[in-house]
Amino acid sequence: MAATVAVPVASVESDPDRCGAEEEARENEAEEDGNQQAGPISTSQSRLAKLPLARIKALMKADPDVSLASQESVFIIAKATELFVEMIAKDALVYAQQGKRKTLQRKDLDNAIEAIDEFAFLEGM
Amino acid sequence: MAERPEDLNLPNAVITRIIKEALPDGVNVSKEARRAISQAASVFVLYATSCANNFAIKAKRKTLNAADVMAAMEEMEFERFLQPLREALEAYKKGQKGKKEASEQKRKEKDKKTDTEENDKNREEENEEDDEENMEEEQEGENEREEEVDN
Repeated sequence: MAATVAVPVASVESDPDRCGAEEEARENEAEEDGNQQAGPISTSQSRLAKLPLARIKALMKADPDVSLASQESVFIIAKATELFVEMIAKDALVYAQQGKRKTLQRKDLDNAIEAIDEFAFLEGM
Repeated sequence: MAERPEDLNLPNAVITRIIKEALPDGVNVSKEARRAISQAASVFVLYATSCANNFAIKAKRKTLNAADVMAAMEEMEFERFLQPLREALEAYKKGQKGKKEASEQKRKEKDKKTDTEENDKNREEENEEDDEENMEEEQEGENEREEEVDN
């Protein structure tokens, strides 16, 4: 079918052990992002996900262990990524506000990554 | 065209929009912070994919599915995502079903039209064209279910 995609694997720790659960749980906030309903049938499905599915799929393809991915799984990952961006932005904002700043800076991100367990996989970024 | 993970960034405009909508008015985001968030998002995709793929492999499946991704979210401690993701998935599935029905409806109408014209005139050329179009549509239908990932 499509041309083979030759991809050296990124230096991401895809260590399965990393997926192990840690005990600490955060407070659950309702992170409803007001899911947009698809209007008439001809409306593109991508309205439900802000990130382009093709690009998400291309990223997933970078993993040599992934052979096939259902369209639904690509969509869910796109949506989850959107939620992730919202979450990390909000968490970083806390640090900016502590510094009495209204502008989010790189160091706020770094602080959030260091402090929050769920972001441990981002360390070393 | 070879794409490297480093080159695969998510579109800046979309990332910026998601960030802005998540933060209160009056808050700005520096370029470096935006870039870092975008990079983090790419890493998130890679990590989530890898985690989800482990579940698929465990279940002896070659195709990564939505349930695998849900399981991955839980493993990664993003339980807060599960409910909104389930709702989004439902809406998505409904939309996909509607799309499929619409394209099948279109094809039925086209077949009907072709039959009528066959009775009126003998147009072999048109039949060949329609066959080709039907084959293309069938291919599209198959592609909608599974995306083949060539490695």
